[in-house]
Amino acid sequence: MSSSSGLTFKLHPLVIVNISDHYTRIKAQSGSASPPPRVYGCVLGVQTGRNVEIFNSFELHYDATQNVLDRAFLESKQEQYKKVFPKYDVLGWYSTGSDIQDSDMLIHKALTDINESPVYLLLNPAINHAQKDLPIAIFESELHVIEGVPSLIFVNASYTIETVEAERISVDHVAHIKPSDGSSAATQLAAHLTGMHSAIKMLNSRIRVLHHHLVSIQKGEAPYDHSLLRQVSSLIRRLPAIDSSRFQDDFLMEYNDTLLMTYLATITKCSSTMNELVDKFNTAYDKQNRRGGRSTFI
Amino acid sequence: MDSLDALVAQVQGFSGTDDLLHLFSLLKQSDELLHTHAPRLQYALSSLDPAKHSLGYLYLLEVQSSGTLSQEQSENFLALASTFLNVCIAEQICLAPEKFNMVCRRVKEQALQLQEPLRAILPLQAAIRKLQPSSEFLTAMHADFLQMCLLAKCYKASLSVLEDDIFEIDQKRTGLVPRDFLLYCYYGGMIHIGLKQFGKALEFFQHAITAPATVLNAITIAAYKKFVLVSLIQLGQFHDCFVQVPLFPKYTPPVVQRNLKSCVQDYVDLATSYVTRNIADVKGYITTHEDAFKSDNNLGLARQVIASLYKRNIQRLTQTYLTLSLQDIADNVQLDGPKEAELHILQMIQDGEIFARINQKDGMVSFQEDPEQYNTSAMTMRLNLEIHNIVRLAKKLTSVDEQVSCDQVYLSKIGRDRPRYETEDFDIVPQKMYTNL
Repeated sequence: MSSSSGLTFKLHPLVIVNISDHYTRIKAQSGSASPPPRVYGCVLGVQTGRNVEIFNSFELHYDATQNVLDRAFLESKQEQYKKVFPKYDVLGWYSTGSDIQDSDMLIHKALTDINESPVYLLLNPAINHAQKDLPIAIFESELHVIEGVPSLIFVNASYTIETVEAERISVDHVAHIKPSDGSSAATQLAAHLTGMHSAIKMLNSRIRVLHHHLVSIQKGEAPYDHSLLRQVSSLIRRLPAIDSSRFQDDFLMEYNDTLLMTYLATITKCSSTMNELVDKFNTAYDKQNRRGGRSTFI
Repeated sequence: MDSLDALVAQVQGFSGTDDLLHLFSLLKQSDELLHTHAPRLQYALSSLDPAKHSLGYLYLLEVQSSGTLSQEQSENFLALASTFLNVCIAEQICLAPEKFNMVCRRVKEQALQLQEPLRAILPLQAAIRKLQPSSEFLTAMHADFLQMCLLAKCYKASLSVLEDDIFEIDQKRTGLVPRDFLLYCYYGGMIHIGLKQFGKALEFFQHAITAPATVLNAITIAAYKKFVLVSLIQLGQFHDCFVQVPLFPKYTPPVVQRNLKSCVQDYVDLATSYVTRNIADVKGYITTHEDAFKSDNNLGLARQVIASLYKRNIQRLTQTYLTLSLQDIADNVQLDGPKEAELHILQMIQDGEIFARINQKDGMVSFQEDPEQYNTSAMTMRLNLEIHNIVRLAKKLTSVDEQVSCDQVYLSKIGRDRPRYETEDFDIVPQKMYTNL
């Protein structure tokens, strides 16, 4: 069921990083106890009219055995955050897990005294490589009549991700976690190139999807969508950015230089393999007496 | 007659893939039978289809071609064998590689007898492809094929076979003998000389010289003579590619090293006189020893050596002068006159060996740098291709490296080289297992 309240949700990446960090910490602290415990917290943000923008979050103490939320802690945290960010209100709460559970509704109702209609953010910590979207779902509570009984249920709401420049840099930094052992030039280069490679791969796959769609439009299998075609055409017209012959010359020269270096690197690697091979071969099969060690050949 | 018919029927019946081994053993036993029924073989052959009953056909062909054949018989045989080699099934003939090699050799001999080496080229090429499990294997037919191409002067036809890098030698599957390998290197080198690719020719001859051997081989001597001449043409020198004064790489078998010099004294002397860069000397030397060169069929190569000496001298001039007049060039290089110098330089510019401009008005030649800027997409493609080649080669090397690392002999030698370490700490190669090797 999708939400009918008409609110648009905007999510900042800081929240996602916070939740994931909280979850990972608790999971690491609890050791190999399976399944890893759920974590709970509050989300803060601003609600202006129909726009709900979630900026930040903090953690809550929740006693799972007694199903009791630590209210005192929540209130003290709320006051502290109000002092730093006067604009932010508690908009709702978050938790981790793969799906909604019944106990969630209780917590949700408990929070209604702070915010009449809190939002519930659910993060699915299971890593699924096939899934392309973020494993985050936002739920609202609505009063629906089910079997003659009006009850509060969760309905799914759509959201978009909104980023500030500072957040983009930090997320980028987190995404390329540098190795902790005093990264040498080689590992840095490898990390940099891997990042480039995955970015280009993603770009390539998206272009392929577009291309496939356009081909099927041409064949007549898909409906002719003017607005989509306009967007594609504007995208294509943005490239190439420069196209003079001098640029081509310089670009090709630099490109060929890089290729030459790669060529040199492959030749070096090849000759080192060959050297090892010849060493091994000589130890195994060399009939001339080389007592006490092998001497390098060629 | 009956037994022959029975055999034919068996061949036809058993040529499905399951019974091939059975058929193969049957054929092996009936070799004598085939020999006794030689006159009737033609009939048997016509009732078999070479594309389906390749194994049986092979045996019949082999028997038919043994012994001396008359003109008409050999024509007939050549025709049959050519179609057979083109259409036979690879799995079937792989069961009998020696017979297959023998048939191919007969094809070559008959073609030579009929003075038409051209006819044998395509069938032999097909035969190579059929017997090779992959293009990296050397077969016994490579040498014959190359010989036919040389005699027929169709060098281009052999290029596709020559360009395959040979990595594997498998005697069981291809019935190869060392002589074939030496011949392959020798003929391959000669074809590359014919195509004027002296670099590759040098490689091939070097393989022929450094092949492991216990006795000196006539092929090796002939290869070495050509090797000397080609290295003069290509490298302009003779010693420096190898480590020290010895004229051979370190991995030449000692037999070859010791005995080869005595057989090729003329050539070595030519090499020494070439180094002096004096054209008159070299020319004089070649004319005095013309008979020696002619007897080895190397006179043409010797003349090319002289031509290359001119080129080399002109190239040395580019390193000293920026511009030079044609007359001066002629004097320096001991050419007959400015006209001849101009001809030489034009030829070299065309071949891409030097970069220069000739000013016709005052007869000056100005030497220039290599104009390659490395900023074309053609260069990009070329670099890409080279990188791919190297990566392939590197993969091949790593796989061979792994093979050697797992080799029994190597592991035993490693184990023996470490007797001092405590066995508790270094139990990587248990000593007990390999002490009996």
